[in-house]
Amino acid sequence: MSEETKIIERKDVPHGAVMLFGFPDVGLVGVIAASHIISELNLTEVAYMDSRLLPPLIVLHEGLPHSPIRIFGNHDTLLAVSETAISAEAIYPIMHTLIDWGRDKNVKLMISMSGIPVQDRQDVKELKVFAAASSPEILKMVHDKGIEILREGYMVGPQATMMQYCATTGVPAITLLGQCFFNYPDPEAAAEVLKELANIIGIKVDISKLLEKGEEIRLKARDVMRRTQQELSKMKKTREYDIPLYVS
Amino acid sequence: MEEWAERFRERLIEKPSWDQRACTMEPLRDVMVTPTEVIVTVDLPYAEENTIQVKPISKDTVEILAKLKRKVRFDDFGITQYKGEFHTFRCETRIPVPVYMEKMEIRFRKGILEIHLPRKHEYEIPIE
Repeated sequence: MSEETKIIERKDVPHGAVMLFGFPDVGLVGVIAASHIISELNLTEVAYMDSRLLPPLIVLHEGLPHSPIRIFGNHDTLLAVSETAISAEAIYPIMHTLIDWGRDKNVKLMISMSGIPVQDRQDVKELKVFAAASSPEILKMVHDKGIEILREGYMVGPQATMMQYCATTGVPAITLLGQCFFNYPDPEAAAEVLKELANIIGIKVDISKLLEKGEEIRLKARDVMRRTQQELSKMKKTREYDIPLYVS
Repeated sequence: MEEWAERFRERLIEKPSWDQRACTMEPLRDVMVTPTEVIVTVDLPYAEENTIQVKPISKDTVEILAKLKRKVRFDDFGITQYKGEFHTFRCETRIPVPVYMEKMEIRFRKGILEIHLPRKHEYEIPIE
């Protein structure tokens, strides 16, 4: 953990848990899914990030200051969520610090929840969820669960850094990517990701409530989405549309 | 170019997404240019479909208006430091290439407004 980015624990943190990540990205899929899990499982804040790389910003809840990046949890689940878009320059140190902290807590599996934009999203009736994994064994496990594998292409954003670092350090990790709008909050995509999360780790959350609140979430999430669009543009998120050239 | 983009972004983003006086909120939107048309999409959650209006206000700008199904207050978001309520989405969007405004087609699906504007190809450079 570097001096400029550290995690402050507020409560006892369970060892051997599953650690989930929900960061602002296309469709705000990860943040919407994370927010729903926190509310459904009554997760409480166990730690938060203190970093000079974050903008000079706090989030006020009930008049009290909170870091925009917090870790919630219960006895077997940890969930890192950011309430603000993270700049491209800050993604590496922030994700590395979170993963190192998770390794210190013997996290058994890390799962990033995010989105993958699909053209004419409003016409798509059944949204797919794709997965990528940090090792062939985890990839097989995900494939055996019936989840489609994202075989070729680029990944840009916090989940890209997470996958790379987890692969390097030998931490089992999965990224779930739900088809979504690029520029608009997408609660339906978050619901599809939560279904596959339940398929993998058996977490039980009622997605019907999330779908019922869909319009309300889209209305509330406009400003976070606008800020996220700005950061996505800076980190060249549209590279995910590029066709890779593999040199073998 | 980057400086221009930053200024444009600031103008677009560095202001509230709502107007207390006019009781309007600014929706998220996107503009896509294809070889044949310009497609503007606008995210309009809670919008009453039969109140949606798309008005050309100049040769390259459209104004979009839509009434909400119910009034939304700052209180609804847990915000108490501002007062006010909103009943309408409103925004103006610039169309980046020449289009036939009069041939505009619109549709509304899953809370997303789509505006299709056929492109005008005014100049053609002959290939010798």
